[in-house]
Amino acid sequence: MTLIAVRGAPRVNPVVRRLAGHVVRGLVMIWVVTTISFVIIRNIPGNPVLGQYETLIEKGMSPDEAQRATAALYGFLPTGSLWEQYTGYMKALLHLDLGQSLSTPGTEVVTLLGSAAKWTVLPVLGGTLLSFVLGVTLGVYAGIKRSGKLGDLLSISGSLLHGVPQYVIGLLVLAIFTTLWPILPAGGPVDVEFVPGFNAGYLASLIQHATLPVLTYALASYGGWVLAMKSSVATVLGDDFILAAELRGLSRGVLFRYIARNAILPLFTILALSLGMLFGGAIFIERIFNYPGLGLLLVNSIGARDYALMGGTFLVTTVAIIIANIAADLLYAVIDPRVRTGGTA
Amino acid sequence: MITISHRAGETPRPDSHSASGLIAGPGATTAPGVRVRDLTVVYKTPLGELPALGGVSLTIDPGTITGIVGESGSGKSTLALSLLNAVQPPGRIAGGSVEIDGLGNVVDLHGDRLRQARGRHLGYVFQAAQNSLNPLKTVGKQLLDLGRSHGVEDRRALVRDAKSLLERMGLDGARVLDSHQHELSGGMRQRVGIMLALVLNAQLVILDEPTTALDMITQATILRIIREVHKERGLTTLMVTHDIGVAAEVTDRLAVMYGGRVVEHGPTMEVLGAPSHPYTQGLIRAIPRLSGDIEQARALPGRPPTLGTLPASGCVFQERCPLRMDICATVEPPPVIEDGRTVACHAVERSRHTAQREEHP
Repeated sequence: MTLIAVRGAPRVNPVVRRLAGHVVRGLVMIWVVTTISFVIIRNIPGNPVLGQYETLIEKGMSPDEAQRATAALYGFLPTGSLWEQYTGYMKALLHLDLGQSLSTPGTEVVTLLGSAAKWTVLPVLGGTLLSFVLGVTLGVYAGIKRSGKLGDLLSISGSLLHGVPQYVIGLLVLAIFTTLWPILPAGGPVDVEFVPGFNAGYLASLIQHATLPVLTYALASYGGWVLAMKSSVATVLGDDFILAAELRGLSRGVLFRYIARNAILPLFTILALSLGMLFGGAIFIERIFNYPGLGLLLVNSIGARDYALMGGTFLVTTVAIIIANIAADLLYAVIDPRVRTGGTA
Repeated sequence: MITISHRAGETPRPDSHSASGLIAGPGATTAPGVRVRDLTVVYKTPLGELPALGGVSLTIDPGTITGIVGESGSGKSTLALSLLNAVQPPGRIAGGSVEIDGLGNVVDLHGDRLRQARGRHLGYVFQAAQNSLNPLKTVGKQLLDLGRSHGVEDRRALVRDAKSLLERMGLDGARVLDSHQHELSGGMRQRVGIMLALVLNAQLVILDEPTTALDMITQATILRIIREVHKERGLTTLMVTHDIGVAAEVTDRLAVMYGGRVVEHGPTMEVLGAPSHPYTQGLIRAIPRLSGDIEQARALPGRPPTLGTLPASGCVFQERCPLRMDICATVEPPPVIEDGRTVACHAVERSRHTAQREEHP
């Protein structure tokens, strides 16, 4: 079958145009967030930057040395006009220099973020994708059979799980699988006796430790997906083209795909956003399972009043959400032809 | 001669075999006739089940284009959907039968047999304003979905048929098959809808307000296409419309519906030229003439009944009827056939008797 594509004259590819717009807006947002975090750090009571500088002088450093040390710590000079400090901070940021952590002296914030990020991505990404696939599939059934017993059951399970706070689910899961029925490790990312790398023991330990956080995350977000998908399906079922497809005698399988694919569209935005949010870390889950991800890092940095690290964590979250937004938009263009051609129907 | 069309004991035609037989090319199959008998469709409401169709009987002769006209809520679309046994919840067919040649009583069809009958034997065309295509897939892919659903083995032939149908209707077949719904105009979408209804060689085609929401020029084109394709393929066509002008232009026979009943049915020119039922008369008086005084067009007094405001007994039209008699409040007028025309009205009935008595005293 040869189908000749005759479309409007190609000016600028609409996808490229959308992407360019998003990148520009994303950069502006990153600039705004970093500026705000600069201003806040300069204005918190006690001024941690000046405080650090003065502490160092008290310890017997010369003002020059203290200034250099503080500069290394924060990425900008604590003295000089606010404008000079600001430009210095921005310059360092362009080189991805977020300064040094206060609570772990001598360690770059970037290094800390990097090592925490990998522990966050694994369980939260796994949990999100698992709950998305599960929730969306069951949500379609709940939507189609919403007047039946199965539909009721699925909706009730969704509402229940959606209503229970993440940390309660986490504690329940912890109690069940480590105390009542102790089959899985209670905390930490991996057993220390294994050598990191691609060996069976290390990977098995990794998966064992990740199971409970992933399960908790999946259970906590499953309900939301079921309910969102169910209502989206209900909307699509009322669309004319579904009745038309039925009256053309399309098979159940085809009809199911028509419904599912149209209903899933609005959920992709939520998925992309929650993937962005995961870089903020699942604070409760990481605390409960002592998983050294970004959430735990953020909690610890707040506890230690480590402003450089806090700023870094916020920055990572911001950037991740912005990137996720762009990704969602591009994904939309791939799955929705109306976006691809820039039309509105 | 006067006959009553309620023939409860009528024997069904012996052609109620399975729908899953092999389909022959156009011309090899013959246009099916349709016999709707005492069809009752009810809608579940908080007030209980209310009738949208109250015992409709209608015979559609093979090879005709039959129009169904009536105001909104008169039950036209419900009747059209009943022919595919596709009344949507909260509605349901509560009684009666719809016999279609080659399919049997579609009210008794269920599951896969019903699904196979739809699309393959019964083509349904939606109103153009409705979006009857999946917005995410090209027309070509939806055509293949249709083929797959009905076990069509030769996909190339299917695509070829679809292209030739589209080209027959003045479209660039290849281009349309490669387009999404939003890339097509209303008139193009409507032709795609007609193509999808015909491409599997359905011999009974039901069009629900096929030209509503289209501009006049496109409307004229679509109507011409409907007429031509109907003739070429030897179809039986049923067209639901609220536009009497459209019905006059296209249909051979016309059924007028009011309050879930067919109140008048006969050859289009006769029904429009010499309407018998007071409702049809009022309907035609209400059409403004292109030339002449707009004041001459007189709207029917009152408003059409809704499901809840139908009279509990007697004639559905009694409240707005200028010829109302005592009997109209108590007895529902039965449809009476005379000279190929069906009318359900006590007043018409009485005047006929009077006329006959005067002729043969």
